[in-house]
Amino acid sequence: MKKMIGLFVFLICIGIQIVNAQSKQITGTVTSAEDGIGMPGVSVVVKGTTVGASTDIDGKYTLQAKASDVLIFSFVGMIPQEIKVGNQTTINVVLKTESIGVDEVVVLGYTVKHKNEMTGSSVQVNAEKLENTPVVSVDQMLQGRVAGLSISGTSGTPGAVQNIRIRGVNSITAGNEPLYVVDGVPIVNSNVAVSTSGSTLSPLAALDPNNISSVTVLKDASAVAAYGARGANGVIIVTTKAGKAGKTVFDFSAVYGFANDAVDGRDVLTAAQRDELRYEAIVNSGIAKDIADAKKKLPSGWDGKTDANWGEVIKNKDAKQQQYSFSARGGNAKSAFYASLGYFKSEATVIGADFRRTSGSFSYRRDLTDKLKFTTKTNASNSIQRGLLEQSAYFSGQRTAKYFSSPDNKPYNDDGTINTNLSGNVKNPLYIAKHNVERNSLTRILNNSSILYRFTDKLKFESKLALDYYISDYKQYQNRNYGDGKETNGSGYNSSTQNFNYVFQNSVSYRWEIDEDHRLDAKVLMEYQQNNSKQLTAAGNQFATDGITNLIIAGKPTGANFLENDWKNVSYLGLFNYSFRNKYLLDATIRREGSSRFGSGERFGTFWSVGGAWNIHMEDFLMDNEIINSLKLRASYGKTGNSSIDINSYQPLLSYDANYEGLGAAYPSQYGNRALTWEKADVFDMGIDFSILNNRISGEISYFHKKTYDLLQEVPLSRTSGHNIQARNLGEMKNTGFEFMLNADIIKSKDLNWSVGFNLATVKNEVTKLAKDLNNQDIEITNSRKRVAVGEPVYAWYMRKWAGVNPDNGLAQWYVKEGSDEITTNYNAAQRQFVGGSALPKFTGGINTHFDFKGFFLDADIYFAGGHKVFEEWARYLHQGGIYNFAVFNGVSELMNRWQKPGDRTDVPKVLWDTDRRRAEVSSRFLYDGDYARLKNLTIGYTIPNSLTRQIGLSNVKVFFKGVNLLTWVKDDKLEHDPEVQASGYLELNTPPVKSYSFGINVKF
Amino acid sequence: MIKKIIYSFIVLLIFTGCGDSELDPALNQNKDADTGIQTAGDVESVVLGMYNRMTNYRYYGRNLIAMNEVRTDNVFPNANSGRFLTDGQFAYTASNGNATDLWTYCYRVIANANIIIAQKPDAFGTDAGKVKHMQGQAYFVRALAHFDLLKQFGQMHSGGTLGVPYVKEYKGENASPARLTVEQTKTEIIKDLNTAFDLMNANKSFDGNSSRVSTFAPKALLSRVYLYFKMWTEAKAAAKAVMDSGKFKIIEAADYVKSFEVDNAANSIFELAYSDTDNEDSNSLGFIYKGDSYGDLEVLDNVKALYETTDVRKDILGLEKGLLRNLGKYPQISGHDNVPLIRYEEVVLNYAEALFRLVDANALTELNKLTAKRGATAYTSISEDIILKERRKELVFEGFRWDDLMRTGKNIEKVDAKQVFTSTINYGDNRLALPIPQAELDANSNMVKNPGY
Repeated sequence: MKKMIGLFVFLICIGIQIVNAQSKQITGTVTSAEDGIGMPGVSVVVKGTTVGASTDIDGKYTLQAKASDVLIFSFVGMIPQEIKVGNQTTINVVLKTESIGVDEVVVLGYTVKHKNEMTGSSVQVNAEKLENTPVVSVDQMLQGRVAGLSISGTSGTPGAVQNIRIRGVNSITAGNEPLYVVDGVPIVNSNVAVSTSGSTLSPLAALDPNNISSVTVLKDASAVAAYGARGANGVIIVTTKAGKAGKTVFDFSAVYGFANDAVDGRDVLTAAQRDELRYEAIVNSGIAKDIADAKKKLPSGWDGKTDANWGEVIKNKDAKQQQYSFSARGGNAKSAFYASLGYFKSEATVIGADFRRTSGSFSYRRDLTDKLKFTTKTNASNSIQRGLLEQSAYFSGQRTAKYFSSPDNKPYNDDGTINTNLSGNVKNPLYIAKHNVERNSLTRILNNSSILYRFTDKLKFESKLALDYYISDYKQYQNRNYGDGKETNGSGYNSSTQNFNYVFQNSVSYRWEIDEDHRLDAKVLMEYQQNNSKQLTAAGNQFATDGITNLIIAGKPTGANFLENDWKNVSYLGLFNYSFRNKYLLDATIRREGSSRFGSGERFGTFWSVGGAWNIHMEDFLMDNEIINSLKLRASYGKTGNSSIDINSYQPLLSYDANYEGLGAAYPSQYGNRALTWEKADVFDMGIDFSILNNRISGEISYFHKKTYDLLQEVPLSRTSGHNIQARNLGEMKNTGFEFMLNADIIKSKDLNWSVGFNLATVKNEVTKLAKDLNNQDIEITNSRKRVAVGEPVYAWYMRKWAGVNPDNGLAQWYVKEGSDEITTNYNAAQRQFVGGSALPKFTGGINTHFDFKGFFLDADIYFAGGHKVFEEWARYLHQGGIYNFAVFNGVSELMNRWQKPGDRTDVPKVLWDTDRRRAEVSSRFLYDGDYARLKNLTIGYTIPNSLTRQIGLSNVKVFFKGVNLLTWVKDDKLEHDPEVQASGYLELNTPPVKSYSFGINVKF
Repeated sequence: MIKKIIYSFIVLLIFTGCGDSELDPALNQNKDADTGIQTAGDVESVVLGMYNRMTNYRYYGRNLIAMNEVRTDNVFPNANSGRFLTDGQFAYTASNGNATDLWTYCYRVIANANIIIAQKPDAFGTDAGKVKHMQGQAYFVRALAHFDLLKQFGQMHSGGTLGVPYVKEYKGENASPARLTVEQTKTEIIKDLNTAFDLMNANKSFDGNSSRVSTFAPKALLSRVYLYFKMWTEAKAAAKAVMDSGKFKIIEAADYVKSFEVDNAANSIFELAYSDTDNEDSNSLGFIYKGDSYGDLEVLDNVKALYETTDVRKDILGLEKGLLRNLGKYPQISGHDNVPLIRYEEVVLNYAEALFRLVDANALTELNKLTAKRGATAYTSISEDIILKERRKELVFEGFRWDDLMRTGKNIEKVDAKQVFTSTINYGDNRLALPIPQAELDANSNMVKNPGY
């Protein structure tokens, strides 16, 4: 966008070259530090005069100046430079991007604004921060860069869905994910994977991050109200790259690297430890009088040698990652293009999984006439993810094997073949990874075309049609020889989904500069969106042979299904901005929106916001101030909505996806509620933005208060109704918090620069109202680990409170009830209670630093989150401390700390020869502090001097090393799993995030 | 002029209205429940949906039968996949999955039944009789599901008096029903079964095969209910009505084992239909009784000792990889076989027992009608023990043992070290009633929990 404005400046400035006869001729080239490419349209002015020139399409300029003159080189969004002419006749200048410049242009979806025109607190992250990082999707790169944004992956499997929470959790049961908008239109963004057992796949994985020019996160009312019923969870605006005028520039990058699990996770028992505990358990249970007796009575059958480390067996050590991208862009005054090709491949850190994406994009803009401008952008990609069974502890899941497979089992037979004769139910993952198929593929095409007609300088009309089409297919095959498919002689499942989404948008915008002081911008817009999704699935078993995994050879078809869903959305939007001398800004937004997700009479709603800002630095009393460069006070208030609930949620439904005796059958599947409508949020946001000392220190402080009400609450029904829940608009919740951002250019000079950025956001979440039942009691929503109750954070941890191990008898103990010291060894006798906090971090933040010296540069980003708790979901098996661990599966090495004799003080109860899981059942024993900090990104690189690269015909060559998640710190010693867990806070058995090292080169020519 | 056209066009584009009705969502695979039932065929779909819900593994598809067996001296959970261990240990908690699922699915079946019962038969014109028959089926199923709930969650064997809520309306006024007493629940069950018989008896022509409830099924179930509540005279009469109908017969010795593979055999009063494309697969009864993927329910050795060598019923048992297994009932591992819920043999046993309790000398004769067709020696005397033993031999692995032990006030004895509970559980112990699910307690403030959980 910067470049486009530059072009505009260029067009205006061209030909305003004023020649001074007394001067000498100065020539030179202005290049951008970002890509080393000549910048057209840079203004070169002799300081204190109106004499100047602007650079041509190659970045070259010529002007007349005296030796005593100082030249000012400036360009929107770049740091201006002043250079004394002296005896030079050639002056080449490299312009740098302003890090957080007051003039920065921010893309807000329906509009674009200069930073100082904004009344809210949206944050934009630009391309240079997003490029060449070996992660699949752009959302993964926002972590630590935007205050108030909390991100966690559902899995480290490449391509998996990320959970993003902007300013807390806003909904109990409706979606909490923000709305994604690409190039001005909302796109669909729910998990593409059909399987509920295999890996998830994010539709954002279809977009090559290298094709993205900026990502803006909208948080405050004045920005999100424009998105009406879908804005309450925040909005993420993605803008893809576009062409820019100038000669054609080619850009090639290659990144190659290696990845491993960022954190190893819990250790499991070795075979010897497992054997030792086995016999101890037998003795403890009184089955044998001593260890020798136990060995005689119930021998384990362990050969004393085999000691398989299944955690190592399933590892794909130094998983290879590679990323190549090639792009070209260029154009002239009338048209511009950008085209790219990309390839990304990443193996997973477990065997049998990887991700590949091939992508291409083309963007073209042309001024058809003076008044008519046409733009089209297309992004297309094909992604293939080989995933694994990881949503639970599947016997055939690779990650299950690490924890559940016995170390007595040899992974390989003596002859080197894979051992498929394991004790216990866990299958050998080596065989499964090799012979089973678990694959998602996604082909997505996003096309966005618009016509802009300029009636006058003031009045514009734009019509936009955006098509988002994806086809995804899922294939599962379980081989007929071993594992889940054995009983049915092989089983297969295929599903193919087509999703077609289109958005038609028409707008008129008007900019009215009433006089020098008053300016009014207005935009009226209509948007219609329709989504249609079709899914065809088929399943079969009885495979005739090995090696062919397609359903066509299944002897027995077992199922075929076809589903179709659609939804529609229509909106009318008005956006108004008023500015008085750029000092006082006033925003107003109103959106009327209708959605097919709600019942007749409940479909339309009105959302609005007002915002104001005061640019204090423009006041006379600060005009001459040397220290303060900008100072802004801003506030906004508005109402937005959240409609992300399943379609047809309001209707009482009879479903027909059942049969009996081969005949179709019906059952009531949904209780229904015809009065169902969207959730609403009243959002208040205020803040101060400032920059001082020549913009070297800048920052923002914001406060927000968000009240969400009419929350869609899945009110639990008495099961005697035949239903578990009914959706109702009842609950209320609030999120409040502060956000701080500070950036400082600590050292700023020609050769040496060092800057540091810091951001911190707090959020306090509290449920303030819930539905009442017949007896006027709050209907609290409780599952076996969490509860939603008034006065507590939403889904606060609610379970039995651990009281340690009784030092006298080694039994597990829990507190009987809240507020009492009474302790019991009977799990059933203990009551559940709030045990503190929820899975939502109370604070999140990031520290970013950039350092450069001559051509060397270093970037580091740290992300941290804390104040939340996470729960070790599989503890009730892995910490059972009995037959599960010592005979059937395996257990965690922490069991070695078990109680052994009276007086022992430990948190691990004595081991017993039983299958009772209650001593490791859900309690606060397995609830850990979630606080962690992580070095998300470390980049060290070198830009080869232009003088050298020009000789070989290249304009810019950069080599770099990138490390992702190199260091991780956790507060709680007991938290041995990766601390970056899905937003629910459950530590599961899925793939952890990766730690990667990669090397790359970027060449421009 | 051209400008005007352009302006009008733009105004049209921006302000093109899209009204409420244009935003009607498509219903592509479901129907709106309030308007979805229009014909007798629509009612039949809900009837089939009711049976389909019963076939779910969380109810008759597996769990109810497995839970009943694993808490007795018939089978034990071998921890192969960890399934039914908690049940075998009597280590239930209020959040126990199997107990919660059973509660939930029974009431879901009841919901279907109540939708059928709420229909007005006359509104279906010439199909009124057919609808009435279907309502009879629904009354039967409603009674059966409540009876199952009562036997699992009622307090009659754990020292209390509370039964379960009896739900008679789908989306009825009382969204938070309280528990009835055991007596009240029993009364409702019996009432529903009598209604069921009357409705179907009057429309007998609509009786189908035994995969659907037919006229004499309510009488057969009544004999079970009366026996359970020691109402011997009524039990005798109900069983007699079934026997006198002449519709069913005891399966011949030679056909006994095979009968569990045959759909709608001559002894079948009511069974649930499964097929090779419609089954519970790895969650089926077949899958839990055998194989090494799950195969968690292993047979205790004392079961083998029950049978004489000539008794054909011993052939239900077999060895699989050295483990004693139930191979004959629900034989196909992936659950293709129909699951019998009421077999004629049970009615004969119910009848014999009712006679015995009423001190009727014919009891022995009636009992020996069964042994005669099993290759077993005829009994020469009769006692409660003999009747229970014969019931066990005939009905083993079908989920009857637990109810028999409970209704006769027996302790749960630990007869084999392989059983996973610690020691004898005395009759009257809290653990003999399942916990009212936490999910129910959390959602329904009128619900009272069972002691001990």
